[in-house]
Amino acid sequence: MRLQRSSLKLSLALVVAAAIFATTTHRLKTAPRYEVRAQLRVALPLFVQVAMTMGDRYLAANLATIEIMVVDTSKMRPDEFAIQAQLQQDVSWLNPGNEDNYYVAAAILSWANQVDAAQNVLARATDARPYDYQPAFYYGFNQLHFRHDPAGASAWLRQSAEHLLDGPNKIQMLNLAAIWLDRTDDLSMAIIVVENMAKQATRPDFRKYLELRVQRLQGLKTLRDAAVIYRQHHGKAPTQLDELVTDKLIPTVPVDPFGFGYDIDAQGNVVLRSRPPAPKPTPSQAQTSTQTPVRK
Amino acid sequence: MLKSLSPFVLSAWRAGLRSRSIQAILVLGILLMGVAFLSASFAPRQPKTVALDVGISGIRIALVLLSLFWVQELIGQEIQRRTVLFALTYPVGRGSYIVGRYVGILGLLALATLLLGMLLWVVVLTTGGDYEQGFAVAPGLPYWTTVFGIFVDAAVVTAFATWIATLSTVNILPLALGLAFAVCGKSLGAVIQYMMEGADRNPHMLQLSPVISAIQWVLPDLSRLDWRVWPMYGVAPDHTVLIGGGVMALSYIVVMLVLSVFAFSRREFQQ
Repeated sequence: MRLQRSSLKLSLALVVAAAIFATTTHRLKTAPRYEVRAQLRVALPLFVQVAMTMGDRYLAANLATIEIMVVDTSKMRPDEFAIQAQLQQDVSWLNPGNEDNYYVAAAILSWANQVDAAQNVLARATDARPYDYQPAFYYGFNQLHFRHDPAGASAWLRQSAEHLLDGPNKIQMLNLAAIWLDRTDDLSMAIIVVENMAKQATRPDFRKYLELRVQRLQGLKTLRDAAVIYRQHHGKAPTQLDELVTDKLIPTVPVDPFGFGYDIDAQGNVVLRSRPPAPKPTPSQAQTSTQTPVRK
Repeated sequence: MLKSLSPFVLSAWRAGLRSRSIQAILVLGILLMGVAFLSASFAPRQPKTVALDVGISGIRIALVLLSLFWVQELIGQEIQRRTVLFALTYPVGRGSYIVGRYVGILGLLALATLLLGMLLWVVVLTTGGDYEQGFAVAPGLPYWTTVFGIFVDAAVVTAFATWIATLSTVNILPLALGLAFAVCGKSLGAVIQYMMEGADRNPHMLQLSPVISAIQWVLPDLSRLDWRVWPMYGVAPDHTVLIGGGVMALSYIVVMLVLSVFAFSRREFQQ
């Protein structure tokens, strides 16, 4: 009798459990499933990352880097780029010398509206990798391209050159640093920087080249200063450089030692020409030309 | 002194080797090196560096686990099972047993370090195929110095676990506390740096700053024994940091061993 009662209880439990299982299974069949995205979802706090790897910050950095490497950035949303930016900054804190991390930061983060994060990663990599010119170079590029700061960009390029051994590559980097200074609005500062670069140059031919760049910038500065006075006198910007000479603000238009010369852009600003001026047409060409002359 | 230690050192070696430790090391090593080798495939520009990095992490973790396992087996269990009483019938002080066992475990650890270090060395050299990295790793002196640093790290953890084993009446305690000690000691460097850089201006974290400062007096900063940036990036650690780390570890080991000898000498064993 007791055995029968016990079996009955067990059978009842079995039926109830089976019924609950069937019901929940049926409900779960049609229940919505949360979208599982393979992309980055969350950047864990630094301590959690370190503790999860038994206190090994380099291993934590490697695991996070692998996570960064396997995501498909083409499918990422802007908020996920923000997470990637955080993750990459974490990696650079854990292991600032990680080459893949700074490379991805330069290649992806900068272009995904995460310039601050990219610069943070690149600055740390510059400190951690004294033999590697690239992090400082990418930093400088971002400074120029995304932040429109030619002076800052040039400074980072000079820092990048410090990471190179003496030779053609170093000269090229310093040359680029000098060229980028052409784009700055603060010409006095640019002239001083290039002058200092010339003084520090060990190769005489490169020093001479930098001195010519100083001369070019000085010419530009002379013209810009004169254009400011011209604007004050006439209430408008000059349309041609010769007008500055006609107004006796400068004796002659300075000669660009590189032969490209100077020009006035559509906004009335004096700028450096990026290519040599076209040769003046001969009288016969001028007569046959039917095109309206265009100011350069 | 050496004569009084040698029976315990040798018995530790025999027991360690008899327990198929070497096979375990090899299996663990091959597993870790496989992970290191595979992880390199996630590194587009620096496969050898990543293999080396992950491999060093693997050796670091493996040595800690092995040291805790050996402390548990060669000291903890002997005390728990009272088999230590047979060892104490030798006409030497109790301190000799503890120091002898510690030296024996150190020898086993040195063997494991050498084997794992050589395995990783081969893995690093063969990783990446013909691809030449822009910045090569340094597999010579920088690498072996780093491996030695990991060995010293494991020696510190072993000393701490030995002390716990002499105090503990619970079998699992040396393993659990030893593991916690290792994780905390290795994390300490990152925590100190985080605090020194302002803790992201988090006021709750900054409140912990005095606690972290106090902890440094009892917990060694094991990250000071991790010199892997040298073989990975060719950035040699400052020699004062290198020597300072070694001296810190050695002095901590001595403190732990003295505490262990004290605790073990005062311990009463009931038959």
